[in-house]
Amino acid sequence: MPSVSRAALAIAGKDIAIEWRTKTAIISGLVFAILVLAILYFSRDPTEVSDLAIAPGTLWVTFTFAAMLGLNRAFLLERERRAMDGLLLTPAPRSAIFWGKFLGNLMFVGTIEAVSLPLFVLFYNVPLWDKLPQLILVIAMATIAFVAVGTLLSAMVVRTRHAELMLPLLLLPFLVPPLVGGVQLTASLLNNRPLSEVWGWLKLIGAFDIAFVTVAALLFEVILDE
Amino acid sequence: MTSAPASTPPADLVLSARDISRRFGYRRVLNTVSLELYRGQVLLLVGANGAGKTTLLRVLAGLLRPSQGTVTRSAAVGLVAHDAMLYDALSAYENLAFFQRLHGGKDPARIRALLDQVGLADRADDRVGTFSRGMVQRVAIARALLAEPTLLLLDEPLTGLDERTTRIVLDVLTGLRDAGTAMMVVSHQPTDFLGVATHIARISKGGLAVPEPFTTASTTAPLTYDGA
Repeated sequence: MPSVSRAALAIAGKDIAIEWRTKTAIISGLVFAILVLAILYFSRDPTEVSDLAIAPGTLWVTFTFAAMLGLNRAFLLERERRAMDGLLLTPAPRSAIFWGKFLGNLMFVGTIEAVSLPLFVLFYNVPLWDKLPQLILVIAMATIAFVAVGTLLSAMVVRTRHAELMLPLLLLPFLVPPLVGGVQLTASLLNNRPLSEVWGWLKLIGAFDIAFVTVAALLFEVILDE
Repeated sequence: MTSAPASTPPADLVLSARDISRRFGYRRVLNTVSLELYRGQVLLLVGANGAGKTTLLRVLAGLLRPSQGTVTRSAAVGLVAHDAMLYDALSAYENLAFFQRLHGGKDPARIRALLDQVGLADRADDRVGTFSRGMVQRVAIARALLAEPTLLLLDEPLTGLDERTTRIVLDVLTGLRDAGTAMMVVSHQPTDFLGVATHIARISKGGLAVPEPFTTASTTAPLTYDGA
């Protein structure tokens, strides 16, 4: 029987290889991200709303909805030709399926974020470079939370008739705390406010990371059990 | 229950199901089914649509939990189902390599040998999404054989296959039987399995009749029985 880590890496590698070939989710996610950044930029009146006022919310709306396209795709892959049954028939630990999907989703969302962030800087002309490490830390922490719960929920809804519709409906309420935290922390960084002002948000996102990853990993096997 | 020959030692028992029932909501699909399968036995399972054949196979494979009863498998199980359980975007070789890793192995030679066995050595690097139904089915059989199972469950393995592909699949199954692999095959065409199957059992309304030796006469008997 393979170890959890080895099986998880095999599953994540397989998902990445399939996405690399088909490019279905990544292209949709990137096109969506560029459209949101552009539309929100041109929809405001620059004499009344500054770039910095709208930038944090725009960034997180872009990340969240672009990422959702990938989260939906993760388990739809396993529905075609019932490949999930093939996974369940192997002796690989079932938790490895969660960790493999989680890693694959992190890679997908990370790619969307890595491409969107420079575009965001270009569109909104935000003074970002000296705060880049802190911003990356905030993005990474919020991303871990929503990818963990997104992976769990996409496994739950994949067998429903309207999986693509169900995932956002179920996922968005869970995302409110880490996303609000992400917006607050990003706004603080962009406006050069001291981190101590928003230290509580950082701790909250950290707590959500631990809670979401732990609960998702534990519940995943229950969800797989039919 | 498939009765083992008197000389068969209990160690040859690869599958034992005791009083298994399965419900979906209020609908009972399997009704106290019991059976045993020994090494080298090939049980052909026949029955009308909706009789419970596929559900029984999924329960025996461990993909569905029985509502009642127990299933004991003494060996690795391979399953060839209606759906191929493969990824269209990966090649035949990549699909098998992926599932082999999940079985804890990494043996390219074994994958090549399996693809050769099912007659797809020359298409190993082509994507499964470009394959015909028969070729996909052959890759699915190779996937089921990856872990060298001593119990192989097959659900309509010949559906949609042309004559040549049918012959290839039947030759593979015959070879496996002779090597001692126990098999349970669901089919609507018993005649296809003359020379391969050793026993036949009919399932009706979730109830399984006592398996009997498979002979030419078995192929003309009705697919259903009244004992459910």
